[in-house]
Amino acid sequence: MNNTFNINRFGKILKHDGLNFIPNSILTLAILWAIPVVIYLFTVLMPTNETTNIYDAMSRINVIDALLKIAVIIAPARLYKYCNDSRKGIGYAMLPASTLEKFLSMVIYCVIVTPIIYIAGALAIDSILALFNGPYEGFAASMYFDKFAQIDKSIVDHDVAGLLDDTWPIFVENLSPTFMTILSLLGILTLSSIFMFGNMIFKKRKTGKMIGVLILLSIIIMIIFINYVANNEALINYFEQINEDNVTEFIERMIFIWMNVALYTEIIISALLLWGTYRKIKTQKY
Amino acid sequence: MIKINNLDFAYKNTQVFKNISLEFQKGNIYGLLGENGVGKTTLLKLICGLQKPQHGSVTVDGLTPSERQPEFLQNVYFLPEEVITEDTTPEKFIQKTGVFYPRYDFALFNKLMGELEVDLSKKFNELSHGQKKKALLACAMSLQTDYLFLDEPTNGLDIPSKALFRQVISRYCSDETTVIISTHQVKDVENLIDPIVILDKDDVLLNASFAEIIDKIYFEYGPERLQNAYYTEMLPGGYINVMPNTEHLESNVNIEALFNAVMKNKETIKNLMK
Repeated sequence: MNNTFNINRFGKILKHDGLNFIPNSILTLAILWAIPVVIYLFTVLMPTNETTNIYDAMSRINVIDALLKIAVIIAPARLYKYCNDSRKGIGYAMLPASTLEKFLSMVIYCVIVTPIIYIAGALAIDSILALFNGPYEGFAASMYFDKFAQIDKSIVDHDVAGLLDDTWPIFVENLSPTFMTILSLLGILTLSSIFMFGNMIFKKRKTGKMIGVLILLSIIIMIIFINYVANNEALINYFEQINEDNVTEFIERMIFIWMNVALYTEIIISALLLWGTYRKIKTQKY
Repeated sequence: MIKINNLDFAYKNTQVFKNISLEFQKGNIYGLLGENGVGKTTLLKLICGLQKPQHGSVTVDGLTPSERQPEFLQNVYFLPEEVITEDTTPEKFIQKTGVFYPRYDFALFNKLMGELEVDLSKKFNELSHGQKKKALLACAMSLQTDYLFLDEPTNGLDIPSKALFRQVISRYCSDETTVIISTHQVKDVENLIDPIVILDKDDVLLNASFAEIIDKIYFEYGPERLQNAYYTEMLPGGYINVMPNTEHLESNVNIEALFNAVMKNKETIKNLMK
């Protein structure tokens, strides 16, 4: 018998977790789906000013993306709440499937299924609301998967007052929609890995504790970074030499650094936390 | 067969087992007895792979439980003392869980639910504590695993349910099934368990079949308290004396009296039964 991975067994654990998915996460998803509806109804029922109450598709996509992040953050604790509980987690630990199969199923439901179901529902609701002659302009669904190409166009279109300076084309040129899409998908994976790991290490108030840890880590990293920059004379000298002639080169260099840091940080963090989650499933004591 | 060799286990600073060795032979219904806190549940968790020995080894048919491999997990089922159930019906629960177990029998589940008099249509959280326990027992039995571990299964059951429990276990466990029942309510499992394992703090005081016990220990029911008895207890109409069986007389094991005798004469009976 293959004790590491068996496709038949994997299918069974997928089905098992899938049967738990609906009762455990449908309420959370429904609340998140309802938020844009509430915003819509609020706008329709309490109009204040005609111009400010128009929501274009891009701004609604931003709302959907923010809510998607909440769905991803909450998902592990909703779906696998008791998997490390010394009493309630026994059933999960004793299920005859390998650690790899349980882990992959967890990843599939937290990283893939939850976002897909949330986005599908959110875009469907948005499309229905956009059909009415209300404050919603355009269909979010029509540009959601092309959003990074649309963002540049949207920002330039909205720059009626000419507020954008000459540096904007540098961003547009360097940050391709493909790269931004990859980074966005990696962001979902990273976020999910963080909260899947948090779900395995904390017993109670898992999401809240993990958010606390993230805030604490952010503060520590920021203090270290500021100290590093403030005490690095070469870096200060470099910043002081930035002028109109070399600002383009500086921005391009910063974008290059940011692209690499963001990409590799997300890959490394995701890989480490996914490995940590796998290890916790394997070695959890009850 | 379950083999435990030189097992050491502790929770933080509390030592539970120190260098214990024990074997559970296949096809028996073991009674795992001991006072509260001696580690009955911990031993079951070690055998199930829910805990890992700090030293020594636990193997079940040559497999290491703490690795929690599917090959091992599909042959064991652990029913914990505390009844924790999902917000679903026992039927849906077993249909979801049973598919992982090669010998799972849904017809047997339905039959057992009928015999244990549990309402099939109700969700777990609509059932009483005793009903939930019986429903989970039906689930556990229908999986037909080689090893079944029951932790205080009769807690919370009413008197007719305790009889039904004994009836179901003795009728539906195959000759190949090893059942370990951890309990401190020995009367509930009388006439069901054989052999008996008695645990003490850090130690195993007894691991013997009824035949081995009555070969060395004699249970005498009489009008008087005997001086050479390991343990004597007053019963209605007389006394029960637990004594060394020097004359190889036949008697019936009284588990409660045996347990008390062992607890009062730990080293003596441990050495006697070696």
